[in-house]
Amino acid sequence: MSQNLVELIRRHHSVQAPTALEVLKEAVDDHGELTDEDRRRAAELAGIPEAAVYGVSTFYDDLLAPRGERHVRVCTGTACFAAAGDAHVDAIRAGLGLELGERSADGAVSLAETVCLGFCHSSPALRVGAEVDAGPGVVERVLGGEERAATEPDWESTLPEPVLTRPSEWAGLRRALAELDPESLLAEVEAAEVRGRGGAGFPAGTKWRFTRQAAGGEKFIVANGDEGDPGSYIDKYLMERSPERLLEGLALAGFAVGAAHGFVLTRSEYPRSKPALDAAIERARADGLLGEDVLGSGFDFDVTIVEGAGSYVVGEETALLACLQGLRGTVSARPPFPAERGVYGRPTVVNNVETLCNVPFVAERGAAAYRELSPGTETAGSKLVCFNERFARPTVVEVPFGLSVRQLCEEVAGGLRDGAAIKAVQIGGPLGGILPASKLDTAFDFDPLAAEGCMVGHGSILAFDEATDMRDVARHLLRFGAHESCGKCFPCRIGLRRAHEEFAADAPVDRERFEALLEALEVGSLCAHGGGIPAPMRSLLTHFPDELGLS
Amino acid sequence: MISVTVDGAAVDVAEGATVLDAAKAAGRWVPTVCFDERQAPFGACRVCLVGLAGSPKPVPACTTPCREGMEIETEEPTARRVAGAVVELVLSEMPTPPAPHTELARVAARLGVEDTRWPGAVHAREDDFRHPYLALRHELCISCGRCVRACDEVQGAFALTATGRGFEANVTAGLDAGFEDSTCVACGACADTCPTDAITEIRLVPQSERG
Repeated sequence: MSQNLVELIRRHHSVQAPTALEVLKEAVDDHGELTDEDRRRAAELAGIPEAAVYGVSTFYDDLLAPRGERHVRVCTGTACFAAAGDAHVDAIRAGLGLELGERSADGAVSLAETVCLGFCHSSPALRVGAEVDAGPGVVERVLGGEERAATEPDWESTLPEPVLTRPSEWAGLRRALAELDPESLLAEVEAAEVRGRGGAGFPAGTKWRFTRQAAGGEKFIVANGDEGDPGSYIDKYLMERSPERLLEGLALAGFAVGAAHGFVLTRSEYPRSKPALDAAIERARADGLLGEDVLGSGFDFDVTIVEGAGSYVVGEETALLACLQGLRGTVSARPPFPAERGVYGRPTVVNNVETLCNVPFVAERGAAAYRELSPGTETAGSKLVCFNERFARPTVVEVPFGLSVRQLCEEVAGGLRDGAAIKAVQIGGPLGGILPASKLDTAFDFDPLAAEGCMVGHGSILAFDEATDMRDVARHLLRFGAHESCGKCFPCRIGLRRAHEEFAADAPVDRERFEALLEALEVGSLCAHGGGIPAPMRSLLTHFPDELGLS
Repeated sequence: MISVTVDGAAVDVAEGATVLDAAKAAGRWVPTVCFDERQAPFGACRVCLVGLAGSPKPVPACTTPCREGMEIETEEPTARRVAGAVVELVLSEMPTPPAPHTELARVAARLGVEDTRWPGAVHAREDDFRHPYLALRHELCISCGRCVRACDEVQGAFALTATGRGFEANVTAGLDAGFEDSTCVACGACADTCPTDAITEIRLVPQSERG
């Protein structure tokens, strides 16, 4: 990330200037596509060079597809793929007579691809304007202009006392401000060993400690709400059903590290998230829980919600910070880590949404109680998992760590609908390995999953049924990988394109050359995107080699 | 000072030095494509991989800070194999091989990467010869970011930007209307640093190719 651009943005931020991305998003919302006039205006308002704005305008999906009066987006996420293959995509293309990214000549209707809408419990999903419809008959309804808002199942908990799936009463923040000082709160979070829930599992307390110790008075907390992993809708539920818990987690992080401001980066694919959080912020300010002198404690903390514009890699923390500041969402090499140089070049904590939602319980009840939530395991706290539409009872469920994947699939989610058999499950998103049915007794926890080339990741459990062609799965995941590569590092930028070309062609794939490519991606990639897509490919090579059409 | 070893030889480097700095101080060659010593390390090309004792996998030399006691192996087999694989990928995205004098061609030759085994898409030919001095040939751009950083960090003109995403990533000036309609001051820093001649002085492009 250019330090010069960040400095320009910092200076303009101090006079409440919008970011370039915010100006460009508004322009597309207003008149359906970007003009050079929009770009010049964004440059002027945001105070960054025109060329930099041009770069932003060519990066994000939302800024690229022209919109008609009726803008239809078809979800090409993995849950929709598991439900329908590409049939829903083909049907909407044929029905509208438009290719993906195309607008009708009269401007009445447009079609774009989106990954993913977070309605994985009811796939396939389509979006018209801000409304998502999903499930059987969705294409026909959208073509007939009769789309309806899809409902979302309630979340559940298997814990004796739900932690993440109940409303926040701000008890953690109340206790911290009344009874703890920042150092003792931080020590409690460290003792609780809260591991990051966004994929990497990094200890949150360590990140907080680095940021607390970093030089400088101005610090920030950022909640990573860019839950781009197709098949995962956990953070969506947290942000939309329990926004107070996230705000409370942000405030606690701010109190512990000495930050007075937090941000949440939400996804534009989840149009309800930002309004839900904004409304919760208003309520919290009115109740004295956010703003100046929170609960009369002398601690100031407020939160700003920023919505992204369509890019999976923005879920990576350095790319997230770039997006938050309105720049191209490309990954930066670390060091410097965000704890040293983040928002506006200032020390910044970046935590996943679910991670921050764990903190209020730690603050209220302490590290020991937190560790007891998953008895008999190495991992502390509870975990939200979610299931795709293939299951009989797909929703978000709070579970302890340590249950077997089979228990989760069969007991918690009721097995597959209509008694169908699981062929394989992909856990934790597109960068997670794929577990064949024969390995379902693996425990759902960081280390046991890692031993099978899999990961907890975001916590999505996405089943493929017996009808699934695993070469199609490889092609689907590689298409996603190539489309979402930010373009920064060479192995990912070119390698994922080549990998997808290999599997998209109607020809055998040279296994030796493909494995050499996987090694280059694993060893060479700058971030977990290029480095992670090989994981499911390795699983497929191990468990389903005969289905991949290898030579 | 920090003491490290490079291929067995002890080297002392200053606080803040990178593994690449240490290798250079030891007189060892590490292949690089996106690196320019006048610019902040970028970490995009992943060709400067080296082995590091105790590290589960090779690390990029340009963005890895030296730590006391590091044992650096510049020709570690996995590092070199992957560096070669990445250069081969880069050659596969260009419609024509890079000219022999370019930095990319020289790195490829020294790594023994003569050709690419990858079929597939190459960058479409799109040449911009509108400016009196500077040529921009998009099909030769490998998105190393050197021109953009030269314009930002060295010249401060901010006339260039990365564009697009993934395989379609490229560079352009201003609002993509050519150097002349941008804040370019024709300093030539971009052409000077470009490792493929995607940006070069227009007089160096043969008349026959300028159309």
